[in-house]
Amino acid sequence: MDLKEIYQVYKEKFNDKKLPYIECNNCKYNFYYPRNICPKCGSHDIKINESNGNGTIYSYTVMNKSIWAIVSLNEGFKMYMDIYGNNPEINKKIKIIFKDSQLPCGEII
Amino acid sequence: MISGFAESVYKKYGRSVYELMEESFFKALDMAGLQRSDIQGFITTFMPGIFDDNVYMHFFPDQVCNYLGIHPKYIDSLDYGGPSVLAALYRAERLIKNGGIDNILLLFGGKGSLVREKKVTVDSFESLYENVTNTPYKSLFREYNYTNPLSDYALAAQRHKYMYKSTDEQRAILAVKQRKNANASGYSMFSGNLSADDVLNSSVISSPLHLLEIVYPVDGFHAFIVSKSAGKLRALKIQNYGEAHWTDIPPEQNDIILISASESSNKFRNEIKKCDFYELYDSFTITVMLQLENTGIVPKGKSGKFIENTSMSADGEFPLNTGGGSLNRGQPAYMSGSVLLYESLLQLNNMAKNQVKSANKVFINGIGGWSRNHSVSMIIGE
Ligand SMILES: [Zn+2]
Repeated sequence: MDLKEIYQVYKEKFNDKKLPYIECNNCKYNFYYPRNICPKCGSHDIKINESNGNGTIYSYTVMNKSIWAIVSLNEGFKMYMDIYGNNPEINKKIKIIFKDSQLPCGEII
Repeated sequence: MISGFAESVYKKYGRSVYELMEESFFKALDMAGLQRSDIQGFITTFMPGIFDDNVYMHFFPDQVCNYLGIHPKYIDSLDYGGPSVLAALYRAERLIKNGGIDNILLLFGGKGSLVREKKVTVDSFESLYENVTNTPYKSLFREYNYTNPLSDYALAAQRHKYMYKSTDEQRAILAVKQRKNANASGYSMFSGNLSADDVLNSSVISSPLHLLEIVYPVDGFHAFIVSKSAGKLRALKIQNYGEAHWTDIPPEQNDIILISASESSNKFRNEIKKCDFYELYDSFTITVMLQLENTGIVPKGKSGKFIENTSMSADGEFPLNTGGGSLNRGQPAYMSGSVLLYESLLQLNNMAKNQVKSANKVFINGIGGWSRNHSVSMIIGE
């Protein structure tokens, strides 16, 4: 899989309102930010999975009334995202949603 | 050894970036008693926007040498953000030790005001241009990453509060203690009385960080001339040194409050505790706290209590950021490393107004890059 293909699949998943991530077939490391090489073991043997969209807030900040966070997904990878909902707290559960932005966001549940 | 050092710092400098760098360069040459023709090496850095608004400049270090009329045998540019100047000092000392080069100019700074007025940072300068990308992940970041490095440190501060029950008030007290040093330093941009309530009542810009615990980007250059002979100054050199470069982006780090400073300082932890004063990178209050813990000065999670209970003035038990730090000096072109080094040299040469008695050894730690990826730790003494 080359980088262009990865971005293409990511775009298709976003259009289907799904959160993609990459799994290394060699060492089983899961990561979100697109690379065609596993950052842990260097293997090119990778595949794109769909996350179940459940996670928790790892850390967050409120800026201009918007919430921005690092979220830890249940599959074990973390990523940045906007968060919707009230009273953010570390460890609170979120669910992935898609707003107008086409990029995955979290909603506090 | 450093034979000359100077700063030229303004809230907003009306002329070009070249005239600003020239000013600091000539002041440093004057202190060193050297001519332009004596400069045989040149090290600098570039960040988006700080050179008269340019996103980038082709062959940039060479062009600066051309402008300043210097003809070095060695030219380099280091891209570590805030601590670049500290890493440059180490490299310059080694180059001189290797022989063949006697004087190297370190020239670091730029104009922060131009970036500041566009309401972006050097990290988010790319947002002004559709086709310019500063990261391979721009398409996945663009919705929410334009507030770095502020939001990045806010995430770290929030996590620190959660893990160790540190408080907003503890961070505010640090800002107050640094302000007291700034008031005594005689060369601070921001001065006057400041209480913890003032800090806590200032706007929350990116929770939990308040306006008065965030550096203000300004225009400025620092010039340091590293030489074989210290000239009129004290014969100072780096006694202990470490640098670390952690390339993981924050979401891919296991723990965002375990930072690169833990590695850059780990070979000389015992020496750090014996220093006479401390200059720790202070882009935000939380930056200082993370370094206190990650360099082993205080145990993990104890920086808040340490700040509450410890005197940080020049005659205190732990003189810290004795010039007031960049929180009060202003942050020239989004980099605080030179502010730390400049104050260290004033102190070690007995030239400071807020002078630490028998200031013979300083521990300096710089943090920079995207999030907290680069750390440079050093002890300077005679
Ligand atoms: Zn792998």
